Amino acid sequence: MINALRWIVFTVAALAMNFPVIVTLVTSFKSARELSINPGLWINQPTFENYLRVLTQTDRFNIYSYLWNSTVASLIGTGLAILLAFPAAYAIARSEVGKHTLLPVVINLRAVPLIIFAIPLYMMYQFLGLLDTQLGLGLILTIVNTPLALVILVNAISDVPLELDEAARVDGASSWQIMVSIIRPVVRPAMVTTFIFGFITAWNEFLFGLMLTTNKAVPMTVGASFFFAASGGGVQWGTASAVMILGALPPVLLGLLMYRQISGSMTAGAIKG
Amino acid sequence: MAIIKRAEARAYLTPLVGFLLLFLGFPAVINLIYSVSTVDFQTLRSPTLSGFGNYVSVLADRDFWRATSFSLRFGILTAMIECLLGLFLAIFLAPLLSKRSALMAPLMLPLMVAPAMIGLMYRLVLHEFAGPVPYYLFMWFGDSPAFLDVSHALWTLIVVETLQWTPFAFLLFYMAYVAVPIDVREAAALDGASPIKTLWFVELPLMLPTLVIAFFIRFIDGFRVFDNVYALTGSGAGGSTTSLSIYIYQAFFKEGAIGKAVAASVVLFLTSLIVLYGLNWLAGRRRRGP
Repeated sequence: MINALRWIVFTVAALAMNFPVIVTLVTSFKSARELSINPGLWINQPTFENYLRVLTQTDRFNIYSYLWNSTVASLIGTGLAILLAFPAAYAIARSEVGKHTLLPVVINLRAVPLIIFAIPLYMMYQFLGLLDTQLGLGLILTIVNTPLALVILVNAISDVPLELDEAARVDGASSWQIMVSIIRPVVRPAMVTTFIFGFITAWNEFLFGLMLTTNKAVPMTVGASFFFAASGGGVQWGTASAVMILGALPPVLLGLLMYRQISGSMTAGAIKG
Repeated sequence: MAIIKRAEARAYLTPLVGFLLLFLGFPAVINLIYSVSTVDFQTLRSPTLSGFGNYVSVLADRDFWRATSFSLRFGILTAMIECLLGLFLAIFLAPLLSKRSALMAPLMLPLMVAPAMIGLMYRLVLHEFAGPVPYYLFMWFGDSPAFLDVSHALWTLIVVETLQWTPFAFLLFYMAYVAVPIDVREAAALDGASPIKTLWFVELPLMLPTLVIAFFIRFIDGFRVFDNVYALTGSGAGGSTTSLSIYIYQAFFKEGAIGKAVAASVVLFLTSLIVLYGLNWLAGRRRRGP
Protein backbone atom coordinates (compact mmCIF):
# COMPACT_ATOMS: atom_id res chain seq x y z
CA MET A 1 0.00 0.00 0.00
CA ILE A 2 2.68 2.50 1.05
CA ASN A 3 4.79 1.09 -1.79
CA ALA A 4 2.09 2.09 -4.28
CA LEU A 5 2.26 5.57 -2.82
CA ARG A 6 6.02 5.58 -3.32
CA TRP A 7 5.57 4.68 -6.96
CA ILE A 8 3.06 7.49 -7.41
CA VAL A 9 5.37 10.05 -5.76
CA PHE A 10 8.28 8.82 -7.88
CA THR A 11 6.28 9.10 -11.10
CA VAL A 12 4.94 12.56 -10.29
CA ALA A 13 8.40 13.82 -9.32
CA ALA A 14 10.07 12.36 -12.40
CA LEU A 15 7.41 13.81 -14.72
CA ALA A 16 7.40 17.25 -13.08
CA MET A 17 11.19 17.58 -13.05
CA ASN A 18 11.52 16.48 -16.66
CA PHE A 19 8.41 18.29 -17.87
CA PRO A 20 10.16 20.95 -20.01
CA VAL A 21 12.29 18.27 -21.69
CA ILE A 22 9.23 16.11 -22.38
CA VAL A 23 7.27 19.03 -23.84
CA THR A 24 10.21 20.03 -26.03
CA LEU A 25 10.69 16.46 -27.23
CA VAL A 26 7.00 16.16 -28.13
CA THR A 27 6.95 19.53 -29.87
CA SER A 28 10.04 18.69 -31.92
CA PHE A 29 8.04 15.96 -33.70
CA LYS A 30 5.08 18.18 -34.58
CA SER A 31 4.56 20.03 -37.84
CA ALA A 32 3.95 23.77 -37.69
CA ARG A 33 0.37 23.17 -38.82
CA GLU A 34 -0.34 20.62 -36.11
CA LEU A 35 1.25 22.81 -33.46
CA SER A 36 -1.10 25.68 -34.25
CA ILE A 37 -4.17 23.57 -33.51
CA ASN A 38 -2.74 21.13 -30.96
CA PRO A 39 -0.30 22.40 -28.31
CA GLY A 40 -1.12 19.39 -26.10
CA LEU A 41 1.09 16.51 -25.09
CA TRP A 42 0.09 14.03 -27.78
CA ILE A 43 1.18 13.96 -31.43
CA ASN A 44 -1.36 13.25 -34.19
CA GLN A 45 1.07 13.04 -37.09
CA PRO A 46 4.70 12.64 -35.99
CA THR A 47 7.16 14.20 -38.41
CA PHE A 48 10.93 14.56 -38.72
CA GLU A 49 10.67 17.75 -40.74
CA ASN A 50 11.93 19.94 -37.87
CA TYR A 51 15.09 17.91 -37.46
CA LEU A 52 15.58 17.81 -41.22
CA ARG A 53 15.24 21.58 -41.45
CA VAL A 54 17.68 22.19 -38.59
CA LEU A 55 20.25 19.82 -40.03
CA THR A 56 19.99 20.88 -43.69
CA GLN A 57 19.08 24.58 -43.76
CA THR A 58 22.18 26.02 -42.17
CA ASP A 59 22.53 29.30 -44.05
CA ARG A 60 21.23 31.53 -41.23
CA PHE A 61 21.92 29.52 -38.10
CA ASN A 62 24.44 26.74 -38.41
CA ILE A 63 23.86 24.17 -35.70
CA TYR A 64 26.98 22.21 -36.72
CA SER A 65 29.10 25.22 -35.91
CA TYR A 66 27.49 25.63 -32.45
CA LEU A 67 27.92 21.93 -31.71
CA TRP A 68 31.53 22.02 -32.89
CA ASN A 69 32.34 25.16 -30.87
CA SER A 70 30.84 23.64 -27.74
CA THR A 71 32.77 20.41 -28.30
CA VAL A 72 36.14 22.10 -28.79
CA ALA A 73 35.73 24.63 -25.97
CA SER A 74 34.47 21.93 -23.58
CA LEU A 75 37.36 19.61 -24.45
CA ILE A 76 39.87 22.41 -23.81
CA GLY A 77 38.08 23.44 -20.62
CA THR A 78 38.02 19.90 -19.28
CA GLY A 79 41.37 18.61 -20.51
CA LEU A 80 43.32 21.67 -19.39
CA ALA A 81 41.62 21.67 -15.98
CA ILE A 82 42.71 18.06 -15.41
CA LEU A 83 46.20 18.77 -16.75
CA LEU A 84 46.64 21.67 -14.32
CA ALA A 85 44.88 20.05 -11.37
CA PHE A 86 46.55 16.63 -11.48
CA PRO A 87 50.14 17.66 -10.56
CA ALA A 88 48.76 20.15 -8.04
CA ALA A 89 46.56 17.46 -6.51
CA TYR A 90 49.57 15.13 -6.31
CA ALA A 91 51.61 17.79 -4.52
CA ILE A 92 48.76 18.60 -2.12
CA ALA A 93 48.04 14.95 -1.32
CA ARG A 94 51.70 13.98 -0.82
CA SER A 95 53.11 17.05 0.94
CA GLU A 96 51.96 19.81 3.22
CA VAL A 97 52.37 22.46 0.54
CA GLY A 98 49.16 24.02 -0.71
CA LYS A 99 46.94 22.16 1.72
CA HIS A 100 46.10 25.16 3.86
CA THR A 101 45.89 27.99 1.35
CA LEU A 102 45.57 26.88 -2.25
CA LEU A 103 43.12 24.02 -1.69
CA PRO A 104 40.58 26.01 0.37
CA VAL A 105 40.85 28.99 -1.98
CA VAL A 106 40.18 26.87 -5.04
CA ILE A 107 37.34 24.96 -3.36
CA ASN A 108 35.69 28.25 -2.42
CA LEU A 109 35.96 29.38 -6.03
CA ARG A 110 33.05 27.04 -6.67
CA ALA A 111 30.94 29.43 -4.63
CA VAL A 112 32.20 32.73 -6.00
CA PRO A 113 29.92 34.18 -8.68
CA LEU A 114 32.29 34.18 -11.64
CA ILE A 115 30.49 37.13 -13.23
CA ILE A 116 32.55 39.41 -11.01
CA PHE A 117 35.60 38.52 -13.13
CA ALA A 118 33.71 38.78 -16.39
CA ILE A 119 34.29 42.45 -17.18
CA PRO A 120 38.09 42.51 -16.68
CA LEU A 121 38.28 39.22 -18.57
CA TYR A 122 36.32 40.74 -21.41
CA MET A 123 38.75 43.67 -21.60
CA MET A 124 41.74 41.33 -21.28
CA TYR A 125 40.38 39.14 -24.09
CA GLN A 126 39.82 42.16 -26.28
CA PHE A 127 43.46 43.11 -25.77
CA LEU A 128 44.75 39.56 -26.41
CA GLY A 129 42.48 38.90 -29.39
CA LEU A 130 40.78 36.01 -27.58
CA LEU A 131 37.24 37.36 -27.95
CA ASP A 132 35.01 35.10 -30.02
CA THR A 133 37.53 32.24 -30.15
CA GLN A 134 37.12 28.61 -29.08
CA LEU A 135 40.41 28.82 -27.17
CA GLY A 136 39.26 31.89 -25.24
CA LEU A 137 36.03 30.21 -24.19
CA GLY A 138 37.91 27.00 -23.36
CA LEU A 139 40.29 28.87 -21.03
CA ILE A 140 37.34 30.30 -19.07
CA LEU A 141 35.73 26.87 -18.87
CA THR A 142 39.02 25.65 -17.39
CA ILE A 143 38.51 28.10 -14.52
CA VAL A 144 34.95 26.86 -14.07
CA ASN A 145 36.10 23.23 -13.91
CA THR A 146 39.22 23.60 -11.78
CA PRO A 147 37.62 23.45 -8.29
CA LEU A 148 35.82 20.16 -8.89
CA ALA A 149 38.82 18.63 -10.71
CA LEU A 150 41.16 19.51 -7.84
CA VAL A 151 38.83 18.19 -5.13
CA ILE A 152 38.13 14.88 -6.90
CA LEU A 153 41.80 14.30 -7.72
CA VAL A 154 43.11 15.23 -4.25
CA ASN A 155 40.64 12.80 -2.70
CA ALA A 156 41.52 10.07 -5.18
CA ILE A 157 45.29 10.44 -4.69
CA SER A 158 44.92 10.58 -0.90
CA ASP A 159 43.20 7.20 -1.11
CA VAL A 160 46.20 5.65 -2.88
CA PRO A 161 48.34 3.83 -0.26
CA LEU A 162 51.62 5.63 0.50
CA GLU A 163 53.42 2.27 0.33
CA LEU A 164 53.10 2.42 -3.45
CA ASP A 165 55.07 5.69 -3.57
CA GLU A 166 57.62 4.44 -1.06
CA ALA A 167 58.25 1.18 -2.89
CA ALA A 168 58.84 3.09 -6.13
CA ARG A 169 61.07 5.57 -4.33
CA VAL A 170 63.20 2.68 -2.98
CA ASP A 171 63.53 1.48 -6.58
CA GLY A 172 64.97 4.89 -7.42
CA ALA A 173 62.00 6.51 -9.15
CA SER A 174 61.76 10.32 -9.12
CA SER A 175 58.60 12.00 -7.89
CA TRP A 176 57.72 12.89 -11.50
CA GLN A 177 58.03 9.22 -12.51
CA ILE A 178 55.91 8.18 -9.55
CA MET A 179 53.26 10.70 -10.46
CA VAL A 180 53.12 9.78 -14.14
CA SER A 181 53.57 6.02 -14.11
CA ILE A 182 52.24 4.96 -10.70
CA ILE A 183 49.67 7.45 -9.45
CA ARG A 184 48.15 8.33 -12.84
CA PRO A 185 47.04 4.79 -13.78
CA VAL A 186 45.66 4.17 -10.28
CA VAL A 187 43.48 7.32 -10.24
CA ARG A 188 42.30 6.84 -13.82
CA PRO A 189 38.68 6.21 -12.78
CA ALA A 190 38.66 9.50 -10.85
CA MET A 191 40.03 11.23 -13.93
CA VAL A 192 37.24 9.79 -16.06
CA THR A 193 34.64 10.97 -13.54
CA THR A 194 36.26 14.42 -13.50
CA PHE A 195 36.24 14.49 -17.26
CA ILE A 196 32.57 13.59 -17.56
CA PHE A 197 31.43 16.03 -14.84
CA GLY A 198 33.65 18.73 -16.32
CA PHE A 199 32.49 18.20 -19.87
CA ILE A 200 28.83 18.43 -18.85
CA THR A 201 29.48 21.59 -16.83
CA ALA A 202 31.45 23.16 -19.68
CA TRP A 203 28.87 22.26 -22.30
CA ASN A 204 26.07 23.72 -20.23
CA GLU A 205 27.85 27.00 -19.43
CA PHE A 206 25.99 30.03 -20.76
CA LEU A 207 27.13 33.33 -19.22
CA PHE A 208 30.66 33.47 -20.64
CA GLY A 209 29.53 32.07 -23.96
CA LEU A 210 27.06 34.94 -24.13
CA MET A 211 29.60 37.60 -23.24
CA LEU A 212 32.79 36.44 -24.92
CA THR A 213 31.49 35.12 -28.24
CA THR A 214 29.49 36.83 -30.96
CA ASN A 215 29.80 34.88 -34.16
CA LYS A 216 32.64 32.43 -34.87
CA ALA A 217 32.87 30.67 -31.50
CA VAL A 218 29.24 30.74 -30.34
CA PRO A 219 28.53 27.64 -28.19
CA MET A 220 25.35 25.57 -28.33
CA THR A 221 23.63 27.11 -25.29
CA VAL A 222 23.91 30.58 -26.79
CA GLY A 223 23.23 29.42 -30.35
CA ALA A 224 19.97 27.81 -29.25
CA SER A 225 18.69 31.16 -28.02
CA PHE A 226 19.21 32.62 -31.53
CA PHE A 227 16.38 30.43 -32.77
CA PHE A 228 14.07 32.19 -30.33
CA ALA A 229 15.04 35.65 -31.46
CA ALA A 230 14.20 34.75 -35.07
CA SER A 231 12.16 37.59 -36.51
CA GLY A 232 9.33 37.38 -39.01
CA GLY A 233 6.23 35.48 -37.94
CA GLY A 234 7.49 34.78 -34.42
CA VAL A 235 9.33 31.77 -33.08
CA GLN A 236 9.26 28.54 -35.12
CA TRP A 237 8.51 26.34 -32.12
CA GLY A 238 9.06 23.03 -33.91
CA THR A 239 12.46 24.08 -35.20
CA ALA A 240 13.50 25.61 -31.90
CA SER A 241 12.48 22.40 -30.11
CA ALA A 242 14.54 20.24 -32.43
CA VAL A 243 17.55 22.52 -31.83
CA MET A 244 17.17 22.26 -28.07
CA ILE A 245 16.88 18.47 -28.15
CA LEU A 246 19.98 18.16 -30.33
CA GLY A 247 21.87 20.66 -28.19
CA ALA A 248 20.95 18.96 -24.91
CA LEU A 249 21.73 15.46 -26.16
CA PRO A 250 25.55 15.30 -25.70
CA PRO A 251 25.63 16.15 -21.97
CA VAL A 252 22.55 14.03 -21.29
CA LEU A 253 24.07 10.98 -22.96
CA LEU A 254 27.34 11.52 -21.07
CA GLY A 255 25.37 11.99 -17.88
CA LEU A 256 23.57 8.69 -18.30
CA LEU A 257 27.02 7.14 -18.73
CA MET A 258 28.16 8.76 -15.51
CA TYR A 259 25.12 7.60 -13.64
CA ARG A 260 26.06 4.02 -14.59
CA GLN A 261 29.52 4.68 -13.26
CA ILE A 262 28.27 6.11 -10.00
CA SER A 263 26.00 3.16 -9.35
CA GLY A 264 28.83 0.86 -10.48
CA SER A 265 31.29 2.27 -7.96
CA MET A 266 28.58 2.23 -5.30
CA THR A 267 27.98 -1.49 -5.75
CA ALA A 268 31.73 -2.14 -5.94
CA GLY A 269 32.14 -0.45 -2.56
CA ALA A 270 29.33 -2.53 -1.14
CA ILE A 271 31.04 -5.78 -2.10
CA LYS A 272 34.39 -4.66 -0.72
CA GLY A 273 32.90 -3.40 2.56
CA MET B 1 54.37 11.98 5.86
CA ALA B 2 55.66 14.33 3.21
CA ILE B 3 56.84 12.05 0.45
CA ILE B 4 57.93 14.76 -1.97
CA LYS B 5 60.21 17.68 -1.22
CA ARG B 6 58.78 21.14 -0.68
CA ALA B 7 60.54 22.57 -3.70
CA GLU B 8 59.20 19.82 -5.93
CA ALA B 9 55.71 20.22 -4.54
CA ARG B 10 55.86 23.94 -5.29
CA ALA B 11 56.90 23.18 -8.86
CA TYR B 12 53.86 20.91 -9.28
CA LEU B 13 51.58 23.65 -7.99
CA THR B 14 53.08 26.36 -10.17
CA PRO B 15 51.10 25.82 -13.40
CA LEU B 16 47.77 25.89 -11.58
CA VAL B 17 48.70 28.87 -9.42
CA GLY B 18 50.01 30.78 -12.43
CA PHE B 19 46.83 30.08 -14.37
CA LEU B 20 44.63 31.20 -11.48
CA LEU B 21 46.66 34.38 -10.97
CA LEU B 22 46.40 35.26 -14.64
CA PHE B 23 42.69 34.52 -15.03
CA LEU B 24 41.36 35.47 -11.60
CA GLY B 25 44.03 37.40 -9.70
CA PHE B 26 44.75 39.87 -12.49
CA PRO B 27 41.04 40.50 -13.21
CA ALA B 28 40.45 41.03 -9.48
CA VAL B 29 43.13 43.74 -9.42
CA ILE B 30 41.65 45.34 -12.55
CA ASN B 31 38.26 45.27 -10.84
CA LEU B 32 39.61 47.13 -7.83
CA ILE B 33 41.39 49.76 -9.93
CA TYR B 34 38.53 50.36 -12.35
CA SER B 35 35.99 50.52 -9.54
CA VAL B 36 37.66 53.70 -8.25
CA SER B 37 38.23 55.19 -11.71
CA THR B 38 36.37 57.07 -14.38
CA VAL B 39 36.40 54.94 -17.48
CA ASP B 40 34.40 54.31 -20.63
CA PHE B 41 34.89 52.27 -23.78
CA GLN B 42 37.00 55.04 -25.37
CA THR B 43 39.45 55.35 -22.48
CA LEU B 44 39.46 51.67 -21.62
CA ARG B 45 43.21 51.32 -21.18
CA SER B 46 43.82 54.60 -19.41
CA PRO B 47 41.41 54.89 -16.48
CA THR B 48 41.56 58.03 -14.36
CA LEU B 49 41.44 57.56 -10.61
CA SER B 50 38.38 59.29 -9.25
CA GLY B 51 37.68 58.00 -5.75
CA PHE B 52 34.61 56.15 -4.64
CA GLY B 53 32.06 57.76 -6.93
CA ASN B 54 31.24 54.46 -8.65
CA TYR B 55 30.48 52.81 -5.31
CA VAL B 56 28.32 55.74 -4.28
CA SER B 57 26.34 55.60 -7.50
CA VAL B 58 25.89 51.82 -7.21
CA LEU B 59 24.81 51.98 -3.59
CA ALA B 60 22.45 54.85 -4.38
CA ASP B 61 20.95 53.03 -7.35
CA ARG B 62 17.48 51.75 -6.54
CA ASP B 63 17.83 49.10 -9.26
CA PHE B 64 20.89 47.71 -7.51
CA TRP B 65 18.96 47.17 -4.29
CA ARG B 66 16.04 45.78 -6.23
CA ALA B 67 18.37 43.27 -7.90
CA THR B 68 19.95 42.42 -4.54
CA SER B 69 16.53 41.86 -3.03
CA PHE B 70 15.49 39.67 -5.96
CA SER B 71 18.65 37.59 -5.70
CA LEU B 72 18.26 37.21 -1.93
CA ARG B 73 14.61 36.19 -2.08
CA PHE B 74 15.26 33.89 -5.02
CA GLY B 75 18.29 32.27 -3.35
CA ILE B 76 16.66 31.70 0.04
CA LEU B 77 13.29 30.50 -1.26
CA THR B 78 14.69 28.11 -3.88
CA ALA B 79 17.29 26.70 -1.47
CA MET B 80 14.63 26.06 1.18
CA ILE B 81 12.12 24.47 -1.17
CA GLU B 82 14.75 22.36 -2.91
CA CYS B 83 16.16 21.06 0.38
CA LEU B 84 12.73 20.24 1.83
CA LEU B 85 11.52 18.50 -1.34
CA GLY B 86 14.87 16.75 -1.82
CA LEU B 87 14.89 15.51 1.75
CA PHE B 88 11.35 14.20 1.49
CA LEU B 89 12.06 12.43 -1.81
CA ALA B 90 15.34 10.95 -0.56
CA ILE B 91 13.79 9.44 2.55
CA PHE B 92 10.42 8.48 1.12
CA LEU B 93 11.79 6.94 -2.08
CA ALA B 94 14.84 5.26 -0.53
CA PRO B 95 13.19 1.82 -0.17
CA LEU B 96 12.19 2.00 -3.84
CA LEU B 97 15.53 3.21 -5.15
CA SER B 98 17.84 0.97 -3.13
CA LYS B 99 16.54 -2.05 -5.02
CA ARG B 100 16.29 -0.44 -8.48
CA SER B 101 19.14 1.93 -9.19
CA ALA B 102 17.89 2.49 -12.77
CA LEU B 103 15.14 4.65 -11.26
CA MET B 104 17.82 7.21 -10.37
CA ALA B 105 18.31 8.08 -14.04
CA PRO B 106 15.08 10.08 -14.59
CA LEU B 107 15.59 11.88 -11.27
CA MET B 108 19.12 12.92 -12.26
CA LEU B 109 18.35 13.86 -15.85
CA PRO B 110 17.43 17.54 -15.16
CA LEU B 111 20.95 18.07 -13.77
CA MET B 112 22.45 17.24 -17.16
CA VAL B 113 20.50 19.86 -19.10
CA ALA B 114 21.88 23.39 -19.36
CA PRO B 115 19.92 25.83 -17.15
CA ALA B 116 19.86 28.22 -20.11
CA MET B 117 18.24 25.49 -22.23
CA ILE B 118 15.70 24.80 -19.49
CA GLY B 119 14.87 28.50 -19.46
CA LEU B 120 14.33 28.44 -23.22
CA MET B 121 12.22 25.29 -22.95
CA TYR B 122 9.91 27.00 -20.47
CA ARG B 123 9.33 29.78 -23.02
CA LEU B 124 7.65 27.05 -25.04
CA VAL B 125 5.98 25.33 -22.09
CA LEU B 126 4.39 28.58 -20.86
CA HIS B 127 3.70 30.21 -24.23
CA GLU B 128 0.07 31.29 -24.45
CA PHE B 129 -0.55 29.76 -27.89
CA ALA B 130 2.08 27.04 -28.32
CA GLY B 131 2.56 25.98 -24.70
CA PRO B 132 0.81 22.96 -23.19
CA VAL B 133 0.42 24.46 -19.71
CA PRO B 134 -1.79 27.43 -20.75
CA TYR B 135 -3.54 25.11 -23.23
CA TYR B 136 -4.58 22.62 -20.56
CA LEU B 137 -5.37 25.33 -18.01
CA PHE B 138 -7.69 26.98 -20.53
CA MET B 139 -9.26 23.65 -21.39
CA TRP B 140 -9.84 22.58 -17.78
CA PHE B 141 -10.38 25.85 -15.95
CA GLY B 142 -11.15 28.31 -18.74
CA ASP B 143 -8.33 30.61 -17.61
CA SER B 144 -4.57 30.73 -17.40
CA PRO B 145 -2.40 33.23 -15.52
CA ALA B 146 0.23 35.29 -17.34
CA PHE B 147 3.15 33.38 -15.87
CA LEU B 148 5.79 35.93 -16.79
CA ASP B 149 4.15 39.23 -15.81
CA VAL B 150 5.23 41.30 -12.81
CA SER B 151 3.02 39.62 -10.24
CA HIS B 152 3.82 36.02 -11.23
CA ALA B 153 7.35 36.09 -12.66
CA LEU B 154 9.19 35.56 -9.36
CA TRP B 155 7.21 32.47 -8.48
CA THR B 156 7.34 31.10 -12.01
CA LEU B 157 11.12 31.38 -11.92
CA ILE B 158 11.27 29.84 -8.46
CA VAL B 159 9.30 26.84 -9.70
CA VAL B 160 11.54 26.55 -12.78
CA GLU B 161 14.72 26.66 -10.68
CA THR B 162 13.33 24.35 -8.02
CA LEU B 163 12.19 21.67 -10.45
CA GLN B 164 15.62 21.57 -12.07
CA TRP B 165 17.77 21.60 -8.92
CA THR B 166 15.75 19.62 -6.37
CA PRO B 167 17.49 16.55 -7.86
CA PHE B 168 20.81 17.97 -6.66
CA ALA B 169 19.64 18.22 -3.06
CA PHE B 170 17.87 14.88 -3.38
CA LEU B 171 21.05 13.18 -4.59
CA LEU B 172 23.17 14.52 -1.70
CA PHE B 173 20.51 13.57 0.86
CA TYR B 174 19.95 10.14 -0.62
CA MET B 175 23.66 9.33 -0.42
CA ALA B 176 23.82 10.64 3.16
CA TYR B 177 20.70 8.66 4.09
CA VAL B 178 22.02 5.42 2.60
CA ALA B 179 25.35 6.01 4.36
CA VAL B 180 23.76 5.91 7.85
CA PRO B 181 25.35 2.75 9.31
CA ILE B 182 23.00 -0.21 9.45
CA ASP B 183 23.93 -1.05 13.08
CA VAL B 184 22.87 2.44 14.17
CA ARG B 185 19.45 1.80 12.66
CA GLU B 186 19.28 -1.66 14.20
CA ALA B 187 20.25 -0.33 17.62
CA ALA B 188 17.47 2.25 17.42
CA ALA B 189 14.99 -0.46 16.39
CA LEU B 190 16.13 -2.71 19.28
CA ASP B 191 15.54 0.14 21.70
CA GLY B 192 11.97 0.19 20.43
CA ALA B 193 12.14 3.47 18.51
CA SER B 194 9.44 3.94 15.90
CA PRO B 195 10.55 4.72 12.32
CA ILE B 196 9.50 8.35 12.83
CA LYS B 197 11.55 8.63 16.02
CA THR B 198 14.52 6.92 14.39
CA LEU B 199 14.31 9.43 11.58
CA TRP B 200 14.03 12.45 13.88
CA PHE B 201 16.51 11.53 16.60
CA VAL B 202 19.01 9.32 14.76
CA GLU B 203 19.04 9.68 10.99
CA LEU B 204 18.37 13.42 10.59
CA PRO B 205 21.07 14.47 13.09
CA LEU B 206 23.54 12.27 11.22
CA MET B 207 22.51 13.94 7.95
CA LEU B 208 22.69 17.46 9.38
CA PRO B 209 26.11 18.40 7.92
CA THR B 210 24.88 17.39 4.46
CA LEU B 211 21.71 19.44 4.98
CA VAL B 212 23.71 22.54 5.84
CA ILE B 213 26.11 22.10 2.93
CA ALA B 214 23.31 21.47 0.43
CA PHE B 215 21.41 24.53 1.64
CA PHE B 216 24.44 26.80 1.25
CA ILE B 217 25.40 25.47 -2.18
CA ARG B 218 21.85 25.90 -3.42
CA PHE B 219 21.57 29.35 -1.81
CA ILE B 220 24.76 30.57 -3.46
CA ASP B 221 23.75 29.16 -6.85
CA GLY B 222 20.32 30.74 -6.50
CA PHE B 223 21.73 34.06 -5.35
CA ARG B 224 24.02 34.40 -8.37
CA VAL B 225 21.42 33.04 -10.81
CA PHE B 226 21.78 34.16 -14.42
CA ASP B 227 21.25 31.53 -17.12
CA ASN B 228 17.66 30.35 -16.75
CA VAL B 229 16.31 33.73 -15.65
CA TYR B 230 18.03 35.51 -18.53
CA ALA B 231 16.89 32.90 -21.05
CA LEU B 232 13.29 32.89 -19.82
CA THR B 233 12.48 36.51 -18.98
CA GLY B 234 15.60 38.57 -19.64
CA SER B 235 15.43 41.27 -17.02
CA GLY B 236 11.77 40.73 -17.65
CA ALA B 237 8.53 42.14 -16.39
CA GLY B 238 9.67 45.72 -15.90
CA GLY B 239 13.02 44.74 -14.39
CA SER B 240 11.33 42.77 -11.61
CA THR B 241 13.42 39.67 -12.35
CA THR B 242 16.81 41.35 -12.59
CA SER B 243 19.20 39.30 -10.45
CA LEU B 244 22.50 40.79 -9.32
CA SER B 245 24.33 38.90 -12.06
CA ILE B 246 21.94 40.26 -14.68
CA TYR B 247 22.31 43.76 -13.19
CA ILE B 248 26.10 43.62 -13.65
CA TYR B 249 25.75 42.17 -17.13
CA GLN B 250 23.36 44.90 -18.23
CA ALA B 251 25.29 47.74 -16.64
CA PHE B 252 28.29 46.68 -18.70
CA PHE B 253 26.87 45.45 -22.01
CA LYS B 254 23.68 47.46 -22.34
CA GLU B 255 24.53 50.75 -20.62
CA GLY B 256 28.31 50.71 -21.08
CA ALA B 257 28.58 51.87 -17.46
CA ILE B 258 31.89 50.13 -16.82
CA GLY B 259 32.66 51.82 -13.52
CA LYS B 260 29.23 51.01 -12.11
CA ALA B 261 29.37 47.39 -13.32
CA VAL B 262 32.82 46.89 -11.85
CA ALA B 263 31.90 48.50 -8.53
CA ALA B 264 28.84 46.25 -8.32
CA SER B 265 31.15 43.29 -9.03
CA VAL B 266 33.38 44.25 -6.11
CA VAL B 267 30.37 44.62 -3.82
CA LEU B 268 29.17 41.15 -4.87
CA PHE B 269 32.68 39.77 -4.41
CA LEU B 270 32.97 41.15 -0.87
CA THR B 271 29.51 39.85 0.00
CA SER B 272 30.35 36.35 -1.20
CA LEU B 273 33.66 36.49 0.70
CA ILE B 274 31.79 37.30 3.91
CA VAL B 275 29.31 34.47 3.33
CA LEU B 276 32.14 32.04 2.54
CA TYR B 277 34.15 33.15 5.56
CA GLY B 278 31.15 32.54 7.77
CA LEU B 279 30.56 29.14 6.23
CA ASN B 280 34.19 28.07 6.63
CA TRP B 281 34.21 29.33 10.21
CA LEU B 282 31.12 27.20 10.84
CA ALA B 283 32.73 24.17 9.24
CA GLY B 284 35.97 24.72 11.18
CA ARG B 285 34.09 25.00 14.46
CA ARG B 286 32.27 21.77 13.67
CA ARG B 287 35.56 19.98 13.03
CA ARG B 288 37.09 21.22 16.28
CA GLY B 289 33.83 20.89 18.20
CA PRO B 290 32.85 18.14 20.68
